[in-house]
This record gives sequence, structure tokens and C-alpha cells, in this order.
Amino acid sequence: MRVLVVEDEPQLSDQIQKVLEVEGHAVDVADNGIDGQFLGETEPYDSIVLDLGLPGRDGISVLKEWRRTGVETPVLILTARDDWSDRVDGLDAGADDYMSKPFNTPELCARVRAMIRRGTGNSSPTFQFGGVEFDSRSSRTMLDGVPVVLTSQETAVLSYLFHNSGRLVSRTELSEHIYDYDGDKDSNTIAVFVTRLRKKLGQDFIVTVRGGGYMIAA
Amino acid sequence: MRSLRKNALVGGFTSAAASIAVVCAVLFAYIDRTTLNRFDNSMLDRHTQLAVAVNNYLSDLEQLDIALVDPAYSRAYSGRYWQIESMDGRVFTSPSLFGSMLELPEKQKDGLQVWESVDPDGVRMRGLHQDVTVSDGTVWRVAVVEELSEFWAERSQTRKNLLLGFAFIGLLGVAGAMLQTTSILRPLTRLRDDILSRWDAGEDLDPMAYPSEVAPIVGDINALMQRNQEILARARRQSADLAHALKTPSAILRNELRELELDGADINSAVEALERIDRQVRRSLARMRADNVASSVGVSIDIGKSVSRFSKTFSSLATRQGKQFETLDNLPPNIYMRMEREDFEEILGNLLDNALKWCRGSLRLSAYTDDGKAVVEIEDDGPGIPEHEREAALAPGQRLDTSAPGTGLGLAIVADLVAAYGAELSLTQSEALGGLKVQIALPAKARVSKLAAE
Repeated sequence: MRVLVVEDEPQLSDQIQKVLEVEGHAVDVADNGIDGQFLGETEPYDSIVLDLGLPGRDGISVLKEWRRTGVETPVLILTARDDWSDRVDGLDAGADDYMSKPFNTPELCARVRAMIRRGTGNSSPTFQFGGVEFDSRSSRTMLDGVPVVLTSQETAVLSYLFHNSGRLVSRTELSEHIYDYDGDKDSNTIAVFVTRLRKKLGQDFIVTVRGGGYMIAA
Repeated sequence: MRSLRKNALVGGFTSAAASIAVVCAVLFAYIDRTTLNRFDNSMLDRHTQLAVAVNNYLSDLEQLDIALVDPAYSRAYSGRYWQIESMDGRVFTSPSLFGSMLELPEKQKDGLQVWESVDPDGVRMRGLHQDVTVSDGTVWRVAVVEELSEFWAERSQTRKNLLLGFAFIGLLGVAGAMLQTTSILRPLTRLRDDILSRWDAGEDLDPMAYPSEVAPIVGDINALMQRNQEILARARRQSADLAHALKTPSAILRNELRELELDGADINSAVEALERIDRQVRRSLARMRADNVASSVGVSIDIGKSVSRFSKTFSSLATRQGKQFETLDNLPPNIYMRMEREDFEEILGNLLDNALKWCRGSLRLSAYTDDGKAVVEIEDDGPGIPEHEREAALAPGQRLDTSAPGTGLGLAIVADLVAAYGAELSLTQSEALGGLKVQIALPAKARVSKLAAE
């Protein structure tokens, strides 16, 4: 899953980026409101972590502009302003969740995961199809109850397909959601990851639609 | 406290009384002198008449009482008398003396002499006497005398009439002072009403609507109120900046500690210390907010809007957690109270957040007006707080149950803010849901908005 972090404090954004990447997300960071707004409008993120006190343009204005222009990506507001008026202002402006600083990174990750799930219409953090089980909280994958070791890219592809199960996902879409902004978005490598997943989890697990993309049947 | 109205009345009354006293003293002295002069002149006329009669009736002075036709000379002890004495000891008196004689004083000088004495009844008299040489060359001491009682009665009546007149004038003066004071104070009374309604409407006062003496004060009040709002806004900005300056590094530290924990380090005491700092920061910022209330003149907020806004947000948060949120908003439209919106919403947010955190499945927000107060109630079906622990629950940092996340500051922040605005806060058991019921009653009033009125 691809996440945008808009935070002007470099140490904090590094920490958030690191912890989200460990979770298997592709993370882009913007350190001001203007860049953050641009990335949010032009890149297909699955979730956005947005600070309110940003240089260039404040977080609430950025969020309102996203919602005005039809960007529906779930947004978690992360801010030192913990007044309830600010929180409700943020939620009224279109945020999906709100966290006050200081915060615990495990809770941040859990909130981001929950937002992504809600954004894709899933209520449970665990996914299952056939003999394959995937836990989005721990990124653990099991086949018939036996743990399977996957690389981070394989996990990212599996997670995206599970979150969007029942829907045809193109290679381009997959590459846009598992690589960050600076990543090599070569859609051909997606085919390699899918082949490896099939080898590890079963040939019929992921369906290929010629010229269309991939799908895990719901 | 000093009262301008009282000062004006006391000052007006004192000034009128002093003026009347001085005028009375001057007038009384003048009237006394005038009345006495008239008395003396009348007596001089009678003395002249007696002296002429003596000269005319030298041959038969017994006829004098016939020649002097004033009936008062004939009536015994009438208070008006005459007496003549010759140098050889002959004495004639008016019949009014009824055989008694006046004790005439010794001659002090030539010409008329005034003297005062007492009559046979012991009443004070005033008289004139003069040694007169008549046509046969003899010298007679001619004296007329009259009791002063009539003079005093006349003087007393005149004084009484004057005093009544001045008392009436004084009363008119006091009434005038009262009217004038009311008239002078009217713009100030209106200014006070306008300031109150300005608070409600959030508008500037119009200096041109006031007398030129009051207009500069109106301008100053506008400036003062704007300044107050600016100071408050700046304090809030500084508070937000401080929060940012402290909380972001705290978040970084917390995350670094977590990294160390993953490497096997024991971070418990460090995390505990950090949490203490975080709690203290939040508490201090909340105190700063409550303290700001004291220096604020406050703005008027429509509490219905905030209730509706928070109801919508918490309804969505509750639904996400699979809980039921109910709102009973019975507030009439346009209910305003003098409070910073952020403070009211901080109260509302903390209470709703607590209820959402502790409820088992249901929470309710009710709002209504009661006896000039806006009442907001938040109740839940959670474990509640036993009666003997409710007071402690309002103290900062009190977490009666640590099974739910939180700093334990929510209720303390609410208690501080409610106290700062002079509102009421009570914790009871919810009859409807069985858990905790928090009720806050805030002074509020209905206001017809200008747009609605137009």
C-alpha cells in the first residue's frame, strides 16, 4: 500500500516513514503543504498522514482542497494541536481520523491500516482465500496453516490484491501502489512478483485476465 | 462603590442647602433692618406728633390724651405709650399706662435717643425720647415707646414665609438635579446596554450615536475590546506554538525509545518520565487556556451550532466503533452564551470522548435550556463513577481505571473551564443508560439575530 506522509519535522517524518515501510507500505514524504497537496492530487495513495501546522500551506486548507478536487484518499490528521475544536474542524474538513502528538508508532500504524481497510471496504484485518491467510497487522502469510516467507514486494502485491479482492487490478495500478514516488515503477516486474506468489501460494490463487490485470476472486 | 447618581444628588442637595442658608442669612438681616427702620420711623412720627401736641397744649396738658387720637394710647396696657416730663418734675402719661410711669433713661446726648426697656407686663419695648424746648421756654422730655412683640411677630412671619418659599425652591432644585443626573447618565446606561449586546452580536459600538463627551470613551472601549480579543488570540497562538514545540520532539523521543526497545533496551522508566512530561504539558496548556478566560471579555457563541457539529462527528466515531450514539437536541434556535467557542467545544469534546471511551455500547448527548441556562448532558452505559470517587475524578491526573487509554486529564480540564466561566458541573448516575451522567449548566440567553429581525 502506498502512503503519503506530509510532515515538516524531518526527524519525525523519517521515523514515520521507517515504521510504515517496515509494515510493508511504500511511503512518500512531503515537508510542506504545497508539495503535499500536489502529491496527494497527482499520485494514487491508499492513505495519507497529514500534519496540520505545515509551512507553505496549512494542513486543513490542503485537506479541503483535496476533497474539493475529488481526492478521496483516507486522511489521518497528525498534529500537536489537540484542541477538540481543531480535531472536529479536521474531521469536518474531510479527515478520516485524528491523532495528537505525541503518539505511539504502533497506534499510528494500526490507524493507517484501519483507514486503508475502511477505504477499500474491508472490515477485518485478516484476509482469507482458499488455503491462503493474510494478516495485514503483522503482514504474516499462511498457506493451509503453515507460515510462508514472502519478500516485502511480494507482500505488498499480495496485500494490495487482497484489499481489492474481487476487482481486476492492472499491472500499472499495482506498480503505482507498491512503489514510492522515486521507485522504479516498471510494471513488468509485477509479473515476476505474481509468478513467485503463485509458486508459493498456489497457481490458481491469483487469476490473470489477459490485457486486464490480476485479481483475487472474492 | 461610589455612585455618580448619589454623588450628584448629595452634591446638588448640599450646594442648594448652602446657597439657601447664605441667601436666608443675608435676606433676614436685610428684612430685620428694614422692619426695624419702619418701626422706628413710625415711632418717630408719633414722637413728633406728641412734641407738637405738647407745644400746642401747654396751657392744659391734661388734654393731651384727647389730642392724640390713637386708640392704642387710650387702651390700658395696649403696648403703645407716651410720657412727658418737665424739668421741674411734672409728668404726664398716656392713659394706656394706666397710672404707672415709664423709667426714662438719662439724657446721653442732644437730639433723639433710642432706648429699649421692659413694659409693666415685663415685655420688651423700644422707644424714643428727646428733650424739647417748647414755646414758653420750658424743657420737656418727650418719650414714646412701643412693645417689640408686634415687630417680632412680623419679623417671624416674614422669615417663615421666606423659609417656606426657599424650601420649595430647594425641593425644585433637588428634583432638577435628579432629572439632570438621570439625563447625564442616560448615555452611560445606554453604553452599558450596548456593550452587553455588542458582546452578544460581536459588533463594534458606534461612537457617533453618543454625545460628544462620551464618544471618545466609546472609541476607547472598541479599541480595548479588540485589543482584548487580539491578546486572547495571540495567547492561543502562542499556546499552539508551544504545544507544537514540545509535542513534536516528544513524539520523536518516544519513537526513538521504541527503536531502542526493539534492540532489547529497557525503556520503561524513560517512557514513564516522558509520559509525565506529556501529561504536564497538556495540563499546563489546559490551565493556560482556563486562566485566559479570566482576562477575556468573551465573545458570544451559538451553542446549538457546536452541539450539532460535535453530535455529527461523534455519531460517526461511535458508528465506526460499533457503538450507538443518540442526540436529544432540544435547544431552541439562537441560544447564545458568552464563552470562547474553543472552550465550549473543549468541554464538549472531552466529555463525549470520555463517554465514547467508557461506554459499553451506548452514549447520549442531550441539550436543552432551563431557567436561563443552557444545559448539556452526556451519559453512557459504562461502569460510571462511584459517588465517593466523583470528586477525585475531577482532580487532574486521576485515572480511576487504567483499563482504557487516556491521560486522566479530560474531566479535570472540563472542571477548570467550567469553573473559569462560572458554570456548574455535576457527576451523577444516568437513569436512562446506567453509567455516568455529566451535566454542565452554562449561563445563556436567546438572541434574535439581526438578519432574522430584518
